Amino acid sequence: MSQKEEPSKMSHSEPVRNPEGTETVVATFPVGPAGVGRRSFLKLAGFTLAGTAVSGCRRPVEKAIPFLVQPEATVPGRAIWYASTCGGCNAGCGVLVKNRDGRPIKLEGNPDHPLSQGGLCAIGQACILELYDSHRPADPSIGGQKVTWTELDGKLMERLEHIRQNGGAVRLLTGTITSPTSRSMIQQFLAGFADARHVTYDAVSCSAILDAHQRTHGQRVLPRFRFDRADVIVGLDADFLGTWISPVEYTAGYRALRRLESDPIRRSYHVQIEARMSLTGANADRRIVVAPDEYTRVAVSLAASLAEKVGVELPLRVTVEPAIQDVAERLWQAHGHSLIVCGVNDVDTQVWISFCNHLLGNYGRTLDVEQPSYQMAGDDRAVKALFDEILTGQVAALIVRGVNPAYDLAALGDWSKALSRVPCVVNVTETHNETSALAHYVCPEPHFLERWDDSEPAAGVAAVTQPVIQRLGRTRTLAECLSAWMGRPRSDREIVQAFWMDAIYARRQSGDEPQRFWDQTVHDGYANIHASATALSPFQTAALPAGPPAPSETVSANDLQLVLYPKVTLREGTHAHNPWLQELPDPISRIAWDNYASLAPAAAARMGVREGDVLKLTVSHTEGGEREIELPVHIQPGQHDRIVAVALGYGRMGTERFAEIGPQWLEARPSVGPTGRVGVHAAPLLRYRGDHLCYTNTITRAVKTGRRHALAAIQSYDSLTVPAGMAPHGQEKRHEIVREISLAALTDSAGRSPATRPAPPSLWPEHRYDGHRWGMVIDLDACTGCGGCVLACQIENNIPVVGKDEMARSREMHWLRIDRYFAEHEGRTDVTFQPMLCHHCENAPCETVCPVLATVHSTEGLNQQVYNRCVGTRYCANNCPYKMRRFNWFDYAHQDALENMILNPDVTVRSRGVMEKCSFCVQRIEAAKIESRGENRPIRDGEVQPACQQSCPARAIVFGDMNDPDSKISRLMRSPRYYRALEELNVRPAVGYLMVVNDENDPKGTHHG
Amino acid sequence: MADVPIVFRPPLIEGNKSLADITRDVSRPMERRPTAMWWTAFGASLAALLLGLVAVTYQIATGIGTWGLNRTVGWGFDITNFVFWVGIGHAGTLISAVLFLFRQHWRTSVNRAAEAMTIFAVMCAAIFPLIHMGRPWLAFWVFPYPNYRGSLWVNFRSPLLWDVFAISTYFTISLVFWYVGLIPDLATLRDRATTKVRRLVCGLLSLGWNGSARTWVRYELVYLLLAGLATPLVISVHSIVSFDFATSILPGWHTTIFPPYFVAGAVFSGFGMVLTLMIIARKVMGLEEYITIRHIEAMCKIVIATGGIVGLTYATEFFIALYSGSKWEYFVFLNRAMGPFAWAYWIMVGCNVLAPQLLWFKRIRTSLAAVFAISILVNIGMWFERFVIIVTSLHRDYLPASWTHYVPTSMEIATFIGSFGLFFTCFLLFCRFVPVIAIAEVKGAVAHDRHQSETHHE
Repeated sequence: MSQKEEPSKMSHSEPVRNPEGTETVVATFPVGPAGVGRRSFLKLAGFTLAGTAVSGCRRPVEKAIPFLVQPEATVPGRAIWYASTCGGCNAGCGVLVKNRDGRPIKLEGNPDHPLSQGGLCAIGQACILELYDSHRPADPSIGGQKVTWTELDGKLMERLEHIRQNGGAVRLLTGTITSPTSRSMIQQFLAGFADARHVTYDAVSCSAILDAHQRTHGQRVLPRFRFDRADVIVGLDADFLGTWISPVEYTAGYRALRRLESDPIRRSYHVQIEARMSLTGANADRRIVVAPDEYTRVAVSLAASLAEKVGVELPLRVTVEPAIQDVAERLWQAHGHSLIVCGVNDVDTQVWISFCNHLLGNYGRTLDVEQPSYQMAGDDRAVKALFDEILTGQVAALIVRGVNPAYDLAALGDWSKALSRVPCVVNVTETHNETSALAHYVCPEPHFLERWDDSEPAAGVAAVTQPVIQRLGRTRTLAECLSAWMGRPRSDREIVQAFWMDAIYARRQSGDEPQRFWDQTVHDGYANIHASATALSPFQTAALPAGPPAPSETVSANDLQLVLYPKVTLREGTHAHNPWLQELPDPISRIAWDNYASLAPAAAARMGVREGDVLKLTVSHTEGGEREIELPVHIQPGQHDRIVAVALGYGRMGTERFAEIGPQWLEARPSVGPTGRVGVHAAPLLRYRGDHLCYTNTITRAVKTGRRHALAAIQSYDSLTVPAGMAPHGQEKRHEIVREISLAALTDSAGRSPATRPAPPSLWPEHRYDGHRWGMVIDLDACTGCGGCVLACQIENNIPVVGKDEMARSREMHWLRIDRYFAEHEGRTDVTFQPMLCHHCENAPCETVCPVLATVHSTEGLNQQVYNRCVGTRYCANNCPYKMRRFNWFDYAHQDALENMILNPDVTVRSRGVMEKCSFCVQRIEAAKIESRGENRPIRDGEVQPACQQSCPARAIVFGDMNDPDSKISRLMRSPRYYRALEELNVRPAVGYLMVVNDENDPKGTHHG
Repeated sequence: MADVPIVFRPPLIEGNKSLADITRDVSRPMERRPTAMWWTAFGASLAALLLGLVAVTYQIATGIGTWGLNRTVGWGFDITNFVFWVGIGHAGTLISAVLFLFRQHWRTSVNRAAEAMTIFAVMCAAIFPLIHMGRPWLAFWVFPYPNYRGSLWVNFRSPLLWDVFAISTYFTISLVFWYVGLIPDLATLRDRATTKVRRLVCGLLSLGWNGSARTWVRYELVYLLLAGLATPLVISVHSIVSFDFATSILPGWHTTIFPPYFVAGAVFSGFGMVLTLMIIARKVMGLEEYITIRHIEAMCKIVIATGGIVGLTYATEFFIALYSGSKWEYFVFLNRAMGPFAWAYWIMVGCNVLAPQLLWFKRIRTSLAAVFAISILVNIGMWFERFVIIVTSLHRDYLPASWTHYVPTSMEIATFIGSFGLFFTCFLLFCRFVPVIAIAEVKGAVAHDRHQSETHHE
């Protein structure tokens, strides 16, 4: 390049002649300031300014470099799966993380995992969105000011050193920590202080179970409940299929003994005794509705009945209701393989239940205390004591990790006032929450998909969590923080691996060398190890409460009882900032985006309130004084008519962001309530009864405010029976939709052919399916209605979140929904769930009516929607008898660029104005075809699993090739329970159902409720 | 002849008009400045049209979500308005073509306006299928045109596609028929024109009409042929519109009675609208002597007849629902009468079945105020009929879990008002620029009157 030219003539891209005589383009700046004239200076200055401005317009892209050297085993466009452990709650389900092009996009259940066995709940699946949450703290902060870790460590370690020297009290408050590595780190860290203690609590406490076992077995243990070994199950207010301790594990176990395809048929019998309508109650064979203040009496009655059968003298006399006697009889018939679980957080009640299980010989069989569960270890008494310490100013440093006491434990008092007494509050947290807002030092933790971690959810099951993406923020795990503050900073991998090589390797079951053991565990996601020995004493009968249960409350028959419960979709509210979970309708109420005061129809009639009326509830508080809450009414059949049930987990900080979620247009209404948050915070209404958090309270006043609050219910009619007078006599119930069969009839009909009729002739030419013909069978008896499949489908298929207003306008976008029907029957409320998705009809009514052929039939029986051909007449949706087509009413903006990382690149993001629906996860079918073609073999049965089937904890969904007579689906289609919904329309759906089974085998043939 | 009682019919045109009077009377509104009443009406219509335009623009820019539809009720105001406006159009074709073939001379006073009404109503109707699409900018995909997308074609099984053909054919034939009928009158206007522009425009549009016997013969022949072509359309268009519903599998839609039911309903609603418009027009335009009480009465009788058919259909539907033993049918009809939209159903029955019964009484039939009120009720009733058919069948279908409700949004109401704005804006412009009465034909009718009276007086 020549620099001989006059500098003043230099400009970018000016052709100059170089000495060789060829023309070339010069794009250099003049050398040195000498000779830069005014004009060229201005030119250059202007150009630089423009250049700066232009480069500023672009988002800084880091490491956006295509692979020059292809990493081994990485094929662009092909997913890589990593085994890990779910961090959504403490249950520790095994997950497989799907990674596409370097980013995790979906969590699925790990089918080999000993606890979860392939299922994954809605919350677990939804967690992956939180990885891409742009509101997540990315940097440490002190007093709200962003700092570096060096600064934070410097200041904090100085503080801690000061405390150490003065002997100040250091308290670490966490949720249950199932990670052995973290526990050991905590021990090491706290050992450095003279007065240090680790306090744990669980946001939804089951502390009383552990305390009861302390009394009965001499150890604070949580038994591992083995539903897979229990032929008779009694649940006393324990929503074990929905929210209690480890629902996925329990659902898998529960379903293991409800296999109706086996010969002879084996099906467990489940009685649920509860006040509100829980998901577990909805699935029970028999549901006994009692008021919450009667739970203890029920436990005592059960114990008394069983004691009588065993011949043990009880120190008290109780009259046992016939219903409870029946239950005891059923239990006794199955002693040794029965199970009573109790969710009441009251030690006396739990001791009685333990006693029942002891009498039945269930310990060691269906309740494992030798190899207990570590999923919940919270101690209500300890946390209360800690709060008292804080209030009296005895705590010098409080480190809060992973929990949100300012929200969860608002029942204890005002945490902002309390924490102002603590000179040093450190919060190690993944999210901004009520507690981090009060903390002096906020140490952001990485998402569980970004970190090394481990867990031992149950004795003998050790699992590893491995990072699947580079950390998106400057975050540090608890172990990393503690190691730094102990002056020996190490990375999370080093800490976890070192601990495993040392402590866990010693407990291994197979004799691999350490590195191979570690590699294998990381590959599998878990390892079976030897459980550490627990020194248990045999059952102490002396632990039984001496007298009959004292009427602990002065509850009069007219009082309303408040029942606070965790909701299936949100539980204690840790994930309230997750829009997927907010939009997932509650399986029972089918309401999303709100909590509400559930009233039985009788109670609502008595109080003269309608659905949506805002009610002001007043309860008296432990600390004296009263607490109030204002909530819209929801009328809930099947619950006790003296209770008002309110869900916890709402009114969370961080839900303000949903004010403008969903389409914003002229008549749009916000997704948040009058408080600016989603729902109302109900935890302040909790109270301590004795040393334990009590989830019921007496309502002193319930007043109608006169205001109304619209609830986003996506099902407005709750019954299969049409309104009175609108059907010919005897045909009021639409049996064509959900069909039932009694257990007795099923036993008789075993081996008989299915109840489907031969297809009537059709006007259209028949389709030919020469290769595969895909179909699905859904076992309605197995389905618990948990909603895991709904979320799996949403994540897999890039289904947008539409917000509360759109839900209220019945415009939810979920491709798979779970219809829920109530049936009032002899005073009982029966609940049936029916997953409903596109039925991929052979004679699809949608296909004939589309004017532009945007929905067509494939040669493999799929009803395909061609998005880019669709003009959006909605005729197909009108003509769909299953109403499973979803229309893009708006452009559902994916404004958050970071959240868009979650989109599945295999599935088109649909634009406004087109119809969409379930595709049977056609992208998975195609992937399996490619895979099998590459290996030159036919597709194996079960190889294609749609997202809904994969995650189902109850294994209720089976997908497969109906053309293959040996496939699992073909076998199920020969079951006497097989039927197709609305078969007489002759649309010939490819989705069929297995009938709900009614176990009417009641000892006295009567029903109670 | 002596045995046959001679019926003296009153003349069709009153006031013993000369042919010149007729030309002058009909042309007058076009040749003078518009009245204040016209300006007021035009202003109001234009405002309504603009409101509709704003609503439609917002809807197309934002999404169909600005309407109150949901996952279960995929059609609401949009298709209700579509069927309503198509139905309105039918009276025009019936009057101009069918009554022409049956030599009903009284039609001459109203046929021009009725045909114009048809064209404007079909225009209003055509808007709705267009804007009800999620992606209206791709609406041309419903036409089977050669393309480069492989063998991608339209779906000839879809009744919606048949609709496209039926409506476009109907609109074309109606427009041509109307225009051909206008040619002699345009020539009259040309000859009376005082300004150059008017002479030029009318001259061009009258295609060199010279009034010779040969021209008249050709004209009569073409008109007869077009009338013959248009007649089956009266039946076919609304039959095909009804197929949108009848060929579906939705209870309440899937009914074989729909084609005749829809045709009768369309004629019924069309005459309702013709009555409404004519009663206003004769007053405003000073045409009382041309559109006489006799015309009004004749149309009232058609309203009674078609209203009776509609009423009978309602009864038949109910009977079949009960008699068929199909619980789905049973449910959908009882749900119409007793369910959440019962109010709409009973408005429909009240307006369409009960109100027209008053027209049996001559006193009511000859009272303009009463007829006007009833014609409005018929319009309302027929709008609700379509609303009931579409919305009540959809909102509660097979699976009770998917049942929903439907409430229109402000956008849908504004769009509906806008369609009336378009209709009346067009109609008022028509009144200003085109002879509202077919001058040439009325002259023929006057001649016929004279001929009749002369024969009778012999």
